[in-house]
Amino acid sequence: MEPVIRVTNLEQKIGRKLLFKGISFEVQPGECFGIFGTRGAGKTSLVHILAGIDRFKSGQVQILGLNVNKTEKFKRSLGLVTQESSLFRDMTVVENLDFIAALKKASRAAVREMIERFQLQEFLSKPVTSLDIGVLQRVSLACALLNQPKLLLLDEMIKDIDLFSRNLILKELEEFLAAGGTCVSTFSNFAVSQSFSKVAWLEGGEMTIYDPEAAQAEWNRQENYYAEQSGRYDD
Amino acid sequence: MMIRQCLAIMQRELFYMWRDKSLRTILLVGPLLGLLLMAGVYSSQRIENISTAIVDLDKSSASSQVITDLKNSQNLQVVAHFDTFSQLEESIKRGEVIVGVVIPENYGKDIALQRQTKVAVLIDGMNIIYATNASSAVLTVTRTLGAQVGIQTLIAKGIQPNQAQEAYQSIAFPEEAWFNPTANYAYFLVLAFALNVWQQCCTLASCMTIIGENGRRSWYQIRTSGISLFKLFFCKSLVHIGILLLTVLPVYFLAFVVFKLPLACGWSSFLLFTLIFILALHGLGTMMSSLSPNAVNASRYGMIIALPSFLLSGFTWPLQAMPQWLQHVVWILPQTWFFQGVSFLTFKNPGWGFMSHYFWALGLMAVLFYSVAALRLMVRDFPHKG
Repeated sequence: MEPVIRVTNLEQKIGRKLLFKGISFEVQPGECFGIFGTRGAGKTSLVHILAGIDRFKSGQVQILGLNVNKTEKFKRSLGLVTQESSLFRDMTVVENLDFIAALKKASRAAVREMIERFQLQEFLSKPVTSLDIGVLQRVSLACALLNQPKLLLLDEMIKDIDLFSRNLILKELEEFLAAGGTCVSTFSNFAVSQSFSKVAWLEGGEMTIYDPEAAQAEWNRQENYYAEQSGRYDD
Repeated sequence: MMIRQCLAIMQRELFYMWRDKSLRTILLVGPLLGLLLMAGVYSSQRIENISTAIVDLDKSSASSQVITDLKNSQNLQVVAHFDTFSQLEESIKRGEVIVGVVIPENYGKDIALQRQTKVAVLIDGMNIIYATNASSAVLTVTRTLGAQVGIQTLIAKGIQPNQAQEAYQSIAFPEEAWFNPTANYAYFLVLAFALNVWQQCCTLASCMTIIGENGRRSWYQIRTSGISLFKLFFCKSLVHIGILLLTVLPVYFLAFVVFKLPLACGWSSFLLFTLIFILALHGLGTMMSSLSPNAVNASRYGMIIALPSFLLSGFTWPLQAMPQWLQHVVWILPQTWFFQGVSFLTFKNPGWGFMSHYFWALGLMAVLFYSVAALRLMVRDFPHKG
């Protein structure tokens, strides 16, 4: 089966720093692929490359069989939720949904459906700048799903949000995956690592792929190791 | 679906411009306020009642005649009589009088004896416009006075009065000021200054065309939506151009209908000329926007161009009086073509044959500026090919 994402020898440089030293990985249809890394490891940069926003130094990136350097057609089947809100700050919730639907050539019926699914009725006329983070992420995901994407890219989406919004978002993601969708999500807290099919650990410009249990074991090992190194457990 | 997409972009741009209070105020109020202020400043239309002081050291009937002629002058107003030159000098230094006339001792006697005499005329040159007008007003009086004395001298030498008069009028220099016969400052400057304010506001607004989108995080939504950037910026630009044209219409209405400033060409030609200038100016702003790393710098670049462009346009200080190299350089700016064209169209209407190259130049500038902006955007935001 053709992978949804195929990244081969990806190199990226930011300033003089080599952010990715030739990383390669594949994501299969229906998978939820987690990308873990500490701050500055390059999670957001990788998501932006996969979304066709950022250029990269060398290597090849294919999304849904299409080379991202040669076409933008893959964006029709893409949904993105950025780490910091990328909604239009001068617009209300409903204006954002309508405008992004128009940009993505999604129907008005899709807008109505998203309002229902994400329970946004009471927030429609509010400016997005006035929303709590949980509601903001619900709107962001609703916008990302407007065009019924095959691939969802999520950058630290469920970090620090209220429990209702978190559960609503997780329910929608489960439904999206159950319907055959593929998801790539970055995270920096191992509490959510079990929800992924695979975990890619980004460190020092290199990527190591684990299954969730192995990733958790590696996390625990490193946590103990560094605790010992720092002398934290000596007492 | 494509029309819906275009309409959504245009509607969003319109809302965005309306909701941005500072941008809305700048565009709506700036040019109108500029026009009203300029109309107020130049409401007297000419410089009259130039304060004049006289030092009459002769106190004769001949010197009284000079004073009477000065008092009867259209633009001079005798406001002081001093006894000494130093008093006059002090008064000019303090700015109380602009013109000082010193009639020397024995003036009447020298005239009667047909000897040469000198009436000193002193003009405060600190303000060039004031000085030029004062000089012109004094010249009118002194020319007439000189002719009168000359005729009287000839009569005293036994020449018939009509022959003496003919001798002084053998060469006539009738002055005829065309297009602005009364040398009305309001006709010359009010519209141009208001349009200068307007073009500065337009440049500022245009400088946000690209950086106003790709300098914000919402750019990610646009980039991942897959929409063609050409379509996005074309639709945005249509709204900008329409708004820039709308903001100048009240200025034109007040200028030509309410204040009755001259408009030699028809409304349609003038509006078409304005539209083509807007295209060039918006293109310039868009290009600056594409070259800027952020919105603040885009505004700075825009102001660097917009602020001196009026002075460089040759509207107030003639191009011919600028250094040769600068005379060529200033034609790079659309503002030079616009302000020169506005002068011709409002005062002279020289016809399409003459004006066509103004239209072409502005049109070509628009194409060039938009092309550079598109290329820059492609280099920065489009993915590599291959």
